[in-house]
Amino acid sequence: MKVWFPVTIICALAAVSGFNVSDVKDQVHPKGRYSGLDAHETHASASLLGQFRTNISGWLWVRADLYLHNGVTMRPLSEQEVLNGRKGVGSSDNADNQLHDDSKVVTVIPSAERDFRGIFGDLDRATKAYQDMTGHSHNNPKQSLPLFRLMTWLDPNFIPGWTTGAAVLAMGKDRNSYFEAVKLLNEGLEKNPDSISILDQLGFTYIARVRDLASAEKVLERARATGKRYELQDIPADEQESLLSAYRWLALVYRQYGKLDLQYAVMREGLELFPGDAVLERMLNAPPLVLAPQKERQEEVRPEEPDHSHEHGHDHDHAH
Amino acid sequence: MKKLQIWKALARGVILETVRRKDLWVVAILGFLIILSAGALGFFGMKGLESFAKDLAATVLGGMSSVLAIVITSRMMPDEIKNRTLYPLIARPISRFDLLFGKLIGAVAVSWISFAILCALTAVALSIFSVPFEPIMSQYVLARMMGLVVVCSVTLLLSLVMTPSAATTMSFVIIFGSGMITQGLLLAYEGGQTGMQPLFKLINAITPQVGLFDLGSRAANTNWGPVPAWVMGSLALYMVLYSAAMLSLSWVKFRNQAV
Repeated sequence: MKVWFPVTIICALAAVSGFNVSDVKDQVHPKGRYSGLDAHETHASASLLGQFRTNISGWLWVRADLYLHNGVTMRPLSEQEVLNGRKGVGSSDNADNQLHDDSKVVTVIPSAERDFRGIFGDLDRATKAYQDMTGHSHNNPKQSLPLFRLMTWLDPNFIPGWTTGAAVLAMGKDRNSYFEAVKLLNEGLEKNPDSISILDQLGFTYIARVRDLASAEKVLERARATGKRYELQDIPADEQESLLSAYRWLALVYRQYGKLDLQYAVMREGLELFPGDAVLERMLNAPPLVLAPQKERQEEVRPEEPDHSHEHGHDHDHAH
Repeated sequence: MKKLQIWKALARGVILETVRRKDLWVVAILGFLIILSAGALGFFGMKGLESFAKDLAATVLGGMSSVLAIVITSRMMPDEIKNRTLYPLIARPISRFDLLFGKLIGAVAVSWISFAILCALTAVALSIFSVPFEPIMSQYVLARMMGLVVVCSVTLLLSLVMTPSAATTMSFVIIFGSGMITQGLLLAYEGGQTGMQPLFKLINAITPQVGLFDLGSRAANTNWGPVPAWVMGSLALYMVLYSAAMLSLSWVKFRNQAV
């Protein structure tokens, strides 16, 4: 028998099995599980290449943070350091509070006073991008926009790429960029239809930037419905944070419309899911006069922002 | 003068051997990958990605040149012994120190040639995207070349005290892990017990500080400027001292080694 015959058969079988790979999806990724839970590990497309894409997008995410600090590598304080009372370097500009928290980060290369290495430490500080970062400012986050575009292209399931990219786009007062942010989030939503973080960020962008409460109501209701489809413990922590945020924003939207019944229903439902949430409790227990509808000022006034340090629904500390 | 001729002849032998083994093809393939990656990056447009492109170039250049230096050096002496080509060499009036030094010069020369080829290809890729040349880039190249000398000398020593595969693996661990070791020591020094601090200082002193030769973060990001001359001078001094120490240890091991 010629060698090419079994080789051809094997190639044909491999090709046929390749065409049928999509049938495996239901077994690998059963319905009813939260798709955002561990999409990178169990999604049918999580081949070796898929994992590689995830690693690259994570690396790009860290690089984006690095460029904000003009190449100075930062790290979060260890638990021991926090216990010892060490403080982070902090930042002087608040333009990108939404991006990260500098109160608990320090430079990876220590200052001369904290460095035991002597001349090696001096050389390290001289050869690397290093400076005293106490009360530092940041580079314009918009410089990192192409990186966000790159990471979402490489790994469409990387939710922080969509949400933070949109947050960066929507910074400043350029109204066109608000619509660009909405466009980016909608693209992310197409790739991740169940992502509560994207829906929450979209809702926030409609309310705080575009000032389109009707659209905000739609997406936030969709976030609420998505959350209700799953058990809370099956939803990842980041997405849970976004779900809570979506409830807060939705309650404020209904308050703005004067739909008090809906507002109270949303707040009660939110508190059932997140008992003890101070923001929702405060809103629920507020005297009715404070919650009076403001229909007539609807166009000009945006809702009071809740205590919302992570509007885009995830923690950035890991980026350092 | 005679010594110079011996070292030159030995180094030339290493370079010819590398060419004969087609090791430089690896460099060509890596260079092709650099150009391919640059093309993929160009797909997204380079506006705003200049820092990223420079950062990527510095990371790729640093990583690939270190890998090549380790692979070339770790095989050098074991191959001479295995192929019995060492015997005609030591039968000549050449000291074992001269042999090691000449081989080290050859390994450094091949590493520098490979690095130069990769640099040239990276420069082409960056110029296609109109990334301007800055003086810090020259310093980056010079410091990296000095770092490769340290990498080669460490690998040469390891290749004489362990098997070739173990030497390659250990070299990768030490060279690529030295930054992590240093960071670990820095964290441990502050939080650790006072009695342990001299040990941390000792470990830091003997660990090859190859990370010091990487000016990539300054070259990639904006407004950092060139480093002062004393820094480059100190790096050169460290390179000479550390490589001399590694070469001496290699000689001590090889001097009495039965071949």
